[in-house]
Amino acid sequence: MPMTDALLSSVEQLFSLATIASMLIGVVAGVIAAAIPGFTVTMAIVLTLPVTFSMPPLQGVATMLAVYVGGCSGGLISAALLGIPGTPSSVATTFDAYPMARNGEPGRALGLGIWASFFGALVSAIVLIVAAPPLALIAVKLGPWEYFSLILFAITVVASLVGKSVLKGLMMSLLGLFIATVGQDPMMGVPRFTFGVDVLAAGFPFLVVLIGIFAVSQLAGEVENPEELRQGKALIHGRLQLQPLTVMREVLARPVNLLRSSLVGVIIGAVPGAGGSIANLIAYDQAKRASKTPERFGTGIADGVVASESGNSATAGGGLIPMIALGIPGSAVDAVLMAALMVQGVSVGPRLIMDNADLVYGMFLAMFLAAGMVLVFCLLSLRWFLKITTIPKSVIVPVVLTCCAVGALALNNRITDLYLLVGIGLVGYALAKLDYPLAPLVLGVILGPIAETNLRRALMADEDWTLFFTRPISAGLLILAVLSVAFTVRGLLRQRAAARR
Amino acid sequence: MNDATDTASRSPREASDARGKALANGLFNAALAALFSALFVQAGELPSSMWEPLGAGSFPRLVLGALVLFNVALLLQSVNAWRRSDAACRTGTLAWFIHRRLAFATLATFALYAALMPWVGFTVASFLFLLGVQWILGARRGQRLLTALIVSVLFSVGLHALFSQVFLISLPPGRLF
Repeated sequence: MPMTDALLSSVEQLFSLATIASMLIGVVAGVIAAAIPGFTVTMAIVLTLPVTFSMPPLQGVATMLAVYVGGCSGGLISAALLGIPGTPSSVATTFDAYPMARNGEPGRALGLGIWASFFGALVSAIVLIVAAPPLALIAVKLGPWEYFSLILFAITVVASLVGKSVLKGLMMSLLGLFIATVGQDPMMGVPRFTFGVDVLAAGFPFLVVLIGIFAVSQLAGEVENPEELRQGKALIHGRLQLQPLTVMREVLARPVNLLRSSLVGVIIGAVPGAGGSIANLIAYDQAKRASKTPERFGTGIADGVVASESGNSATAGGGLIPMIALGIPGSAVDAVLMAALMVQGVSVGPRLIMDNADLVYGMFLAMFLAAGMVLVFCLLSLRWFLKITTIPKSVIVPVVLTCCAVGALALNNRITDLYLLVGIGLVGYALAKLDYPLAPLVLGVILGPIAETNLRRALMADEDWTLFFTRPISAGLLILAVLSVAFTVRGLLRQRAAARR
Repeated sequence: MNDATDTASRSPREASDARGKALANGLFNAALAALFSALFVQAGELPSSMWEPLGAGSFPRLVLGALVLFNVALLLQSVNAWRRSDAACRTGTLAWFIHRRLAFATLATFALYAALMPWVGFTVASFLFLLGVQWILGARRGQRLLTALIVSVLFSVGLHALFSQVFLISLPPGRLF
């Protein structure tokens, strides 16, 4: 399909009443979900997935992107008003937005965050549009050797970056790869490890694994502390006054900080495993280092809010770069987006942009549209935010658990999926308590079939194993994989030595 | 594990937590190593292919073999951490479970909810589950109980209506009614 036709087709699909309406609902849901402490953006996306099954592909993905972009901004609300990060990606936002709100400027703190999020998302969408197509052009030329090595690299980076122990991270990635082998073999269709259980014949249902790991087990963790359950008291009182244009000028008066933080967000978002939570802190740290008055950071200054919020919002577009260009999700959220496309029958990989150009352009446009919707929604509904953050966990947790059950049932309408969800939730909770990171497991599950298919294709084309080490790109990726583990191990050993001293 | 490197400088509770975690991690990895070894042997029986050097069992065996190695490494780390931890400190397993009683009660209620759903249907099971968990988490009387009741009705009936009417996805109707 020529580019202009694809673009026109995507505009036509995106600007239909149904898509705009579902995106608006998605934005509202994302902002609200992220504003509620204990309810993460990933949970919101995972629970949106079953709702999108009945929608056309672009509408489904656009709705999920709307939840994602909304969620990237929503964490700001509880961070600024309660000093509690609504999602892990708004930790650094509490450093300056909360003191600013406590100093009697809650409206300014929120306004700065909302505008910074908007510009961060905008910059990331632009980088995505510029970077993804050429990267995909390179990616289609990669052979199965390079692809297999690329997946190994992605897995080792994720395992090294998430959690405290590389060994545990790698073990969880391998566990994910093994879970993916349950069911039919991708080349010959032979059933593997099904033990005669019907539910496992088609493999572990990915959505059920996702909901169990990212929602059920985490929700159980939220109700551990009886004292916390009654929380929900707003610490900021008084009226929220917002002067949108004045605050926008204040944000734009910091172009270097805004652009640097957004680019930090995009780059970190594109690295597998590193998401908003890291981008938020690094963007803040970079802004502090570059500042002429670093001692004022943490007292409630505008630069801190702008850096942290533009940094975390920019990861949305950054994370989509490897997913669209290579078919490799950069984070758990991108893995869910990829699953949404796969459920719709769209094959995700470097050919996505060539075979489904209208869908990819639609995703680019949806990013812009969602950023605009989040901005308008947040500015209009500011006064309601205080109420959202005060909903107690004793209400949120059972309601979200019910949504999890609906999510698991909606895929195949099988009660056994619900039993599986309970089991996976319990296992996920136990793993989290034993300090095993859960993100590498999910990425292992989604990358498993791609890794196996490419390994087998490579050896079908040529039985020589050494090609993985002699083809330059493949060898380079394998060296990077080893280096990523080695650097993390070295860092951990240094930390341990410092602690001993 | 590095959790136990400087147990002496930690509070008794943390030290007991590290010892308990080392024990739990050790047992968990020993069990997984045994399970994955058995699966490794079983994967050897999967058919090979005439068309390719790797059969259906090769990739799983590669992954399972690596998993067993990692499990053994983690097991050795846990044994090391267990040895280094203060032997006078108890593992505090019971205290650990009691401290997290609300989380376990919530998960147990969720399991009961799943078991009940095929019999009483989505709406009734969800209503009972929502009310039950809110009650467990502190909505015992007065205003909070009333809120809990409203939330339970809204989300059990509302979600059912939303999925059956708008998304045309049917949720379990129940065998008893």
